[in-house]
Amino acid sequence: MTAIASVTTSQPLPLLRVRDLTISAGGHAITTGTNLELARGETIAIVGESGSGKSLTAKAIARLLPPAVTAAGSISYDGQDLMALPEREMRQIRGRRLSMMLQDPFTMLNPLMKSGLHIAEMLRDRPEFRDRTAMNAEVARRLGEVGITDPDVAERMPFQLSGGMSQRVAMAAALARDPELLIADEPSTALDVTTQAEIIALLKRVQKKRGMSLILITHNLRLAFSTCDRIYVMYAGSLLEVGSARAVEDDPFHPYTLGLLLSEPPAEKRVARLIAIRGQVPRADEVAGRCTFADRCDWAKDKCRAGMPPLIEQAPGRFGACIRRNEIAAEMRDLRGAALETATVALSAPPSDKPLLRAANIVKEYSGRSGTVVRALKGVSIEIGPGESVGLVGESGSGKTTLGRTLVGLETPTSGAIEIAGIGASKFSAMSAVDRTATRRTIQMVFQDPYSTLNPRHSVRRSLTEALRTIGRFTKAERDARVAELLREVSLPESYAERRPSSLSGGERQRVSIARSLAVNPKILVCDEPVSALDVSVQAQILNLFKRLQQELGLSYLFITHDLAVVRQVADRIYVLYLGEIVEQGSAEEVIARPKHPYTQRLISSIPR
Amino acid sequence: MSLHIESAKPEAGTPRARISLGIALAFIVIAIVVFCALFGASIAPDSPFTQRLEVGDAPPSGQFLAGTDLLGRDVFSRVIYGAWTALVGPLVVAVGAWVIATVLGLLSGYLGGMVDSATMRWVDFMLALPAPLIAIVVVGVVGGGYWTAVLVLIILFTAPDTRIVRSAVLEQRPRPYIDAARALGISKTRILFVHILPNVLPIVLAYVVLDFAFALVNLAGLSFLGLGVEPGTPDWGRMLFENRTILFTNPVALLLPAFMIILTAVSMNLIGDWLFERLTR
Repeated sequence: MTAIASVTTSQPLPLLRVRDLTISAGGHAITTGTNLELARGETIAIVGESGSGKSLTAKAIARLLPPAVTAAGSISYDGQDLMALPEREMRQIRGRRLSMMLQDPFTMLNPLMKSGLHIAEMLRDRPEFRDRTAMNAEVARRLGEVGITDPDVAERMPFQLSGGMSQRVAMAAALARDPELLIADEPSTALDVTTQAEIIALLKRVQKKRGMSLILITHNLRLAFSTCDRIYVMYAGSLLEVGSARAVEDDPFHPYTLGLLLSEPPAEKRVARLIAIRGQVPRADEVAGRCTFADRCDWAKDKCRAGMPPLIEQAPGRFGACIRRNEIAAEMRDLRGAALETATVALSAPPSDKPLLRAANIVKEYSGRSGTVVRALKGVSIEIGPGESVGLVGESGSGKTTLGRTLVGLETPTSGAIEIAGIGASKFSAMSAVDRTATRRTIQMVFQDPYSTLNPRHSVRRSLTEALRTIGRFTKAERDARVAELLREVSLPESYAERRPSSLSGGERQRVSIARSLAVNPKILVCDEPVSALDVSVQAQILNLFKRLQQELGLSYLFITHDLAVVRQVADRIYVLYLGEIVEQGSAEEVIARPKHPYTQRLISSIPR
Repeated sequence: MSLHIESAKPEAGTPRARISLGIALAFIVIAIVVFCALFGASIAPDSPFTQRLEVGDAPPSGQFLAGTDLLGRDVFSRVIYGAWTALVGPLVVAVGAWVIATVLGLLSGYLGGMVDSATMRWVDFMLALPAPLIAIVVVGVVGGGYWTAVLVLIILFTAPDTRIVRSAVLEQRPRPYIDAARALGISKTRILFVHILPNVLPIVLAYVVLDFAFALVNLAGLSFLGLGVEPGTPDWGRMLFENRTILFTNPVALLLPAFMIILTAVSMNLIGDWLFERLTR
């Protein structure tokens, strides 16, 4: 257990004080000895990657842990010990004194209840709202607070609302009983970039106005720094660093925090290579009893693994759990500086006269309900040159995935022409077998979700040989050699060939799926959000892999993403797709530095800084 | 139809190593039945056909462990021999329905369109029929006994199984790994049988085991009505019919085959549930 003197904030009596909170499930530790403190009106962020235990910590505070997950330790809320309260009294506290907001706006609202009713439900026991008109007026006022001025919204069902709108309604419901503390668990992650920024800004505004305390649970370090007073960095079940947002951002004390900062692709510049943290996030009980980060840390020594380093005050108000802090502080600072210096503008491939891929006036229509026609793409034209990396940026519903799928022949465009390496490829089913095979070998796709991109019943070797089969006959020796070579190209050990996808991490699966698309020696890779489902530290590894592969194999990329910072790191040119139309195009530097279309401007201003 | 005698689920976090007592017993029962079906001739104490009219329906004794029936045949030996028809027919029904349903379900789920509509309307039609009644009518009119009944049951069981395979295929079809295979230019047949089939097989397999239990009960029912096996064949359903009149003189002659039908069907159901839990997790 971490022996920690006291994590005191400036205020004498904190609203929330968590001591030695240990969460476990079935005898396995999920978090170990978490200490948290939150003053009235303060905003803190718990930052961590998947599996860090951040969400369960939040749930433990509200005593809403799933069954079979237990918590020990003390949670004192305004002097009251929440852990000791009977469930009946705890119910009085939830909603009234502390409230929660969850990630997925689409499942958070009851699908059979009108959105206004979600708020009314929370106000039902207040005598002053007995009267129907008074209640309706109050619901309207509450919706107004979260920026919903259209009185119609209260009458709508959740499925009629957009994601951002649902999240607003959920926020109004969470705030309906005027809690002193709001815990927001990834409130913006499931939303589009521009909506994300709106929701976070709204959350901050409401918090300030009400003087409410806020705990923001997020994986996004940049978001945490821009919205919170203090930061708690959590990793594999333990806190590694605590401090004020400004101080942690300027000078991280723990190598993990530094690693996260360096892994995060900067939106304002393109770096030659992101400095990624190697390996992947371990399970908490795998690294219990030592520094949880030691296995991935470049500075780890034997003493880091000898015992769990305590979280101690290393500077006023700054807590860190690195016992080598003083020895390595200078090196860490140098690395940070070096990472910023390596930022050089990559050579933008000159637009070639003979593009490898040319798509002209692509229209894709779907028949919607009751005979309506949905136009997903409204005449989109793009070009990709040999060895060029092109970004396709847009939000959900912009048609960016449809365009990607159309280019690789998974969808047939309603009209328009596609030419790939000189072969007309508008309609795959109408092509000759020779042309179709040639085109399949030229263009391949990497998919978003690493968990379903590989056949769960096929070993890695099987997945790769299936791909090899499509380009010809090989002897077993040739096949094995090629599989080994492909694995090497994506930096996976050869022994991985016998593994099943279920035993691979998200990043490893994405590497295998990249290897699979490389098996046919393609010239163009269409990458549909290939890193958006990965942890930040792993995301940097994969982005570096894409960069290396491009240099080694001379690949062209079409990088489909909603994340401008990601596209900045890999793309030479950018197309911005909005509601099925290209609204802006140009070199990555130019578009990001001087966006012309209002939508692009909005997109860029949404990046948390 | 599914029975849970105790929670077969392992505790969260621990590997699925443990088998509950119920499952273990179910496997033992099926093993014994299979053994009897294969080696009945060598383990039965007596021939199932030897008639001893002078003995008649005697209660269990040292010589006849389960007594004798009206014709003085050894009931115990007849139950052992009866394992054959209790096993073979249901097995053929289960495997037959499984193969046909898998092919139809794969095609209908993956190809969609006309193939899908045609198959599903056929399934709807089949499901609207009262299955046991159809079997009785067909076997009664066409004749042919046991094997006609098996054939009819294959056709009847194919319909619901096709629907199950189809829904499993529909679940796999939109997954990116199928898109990836399509983008690589892998042929439709290969996608169906090499990429999708292994992912739907476990679900189907669990249902096949349940089919076996249904078929066992159905075939025994038809035999009881005299529409199954030839008269005189040692068969559990047939024995129920033949020995119903001696319930009070030698109740074992009736209760033992009845007990075996129930025990085998329940065991198969348990194994089916267990397989489903295990394979679809």
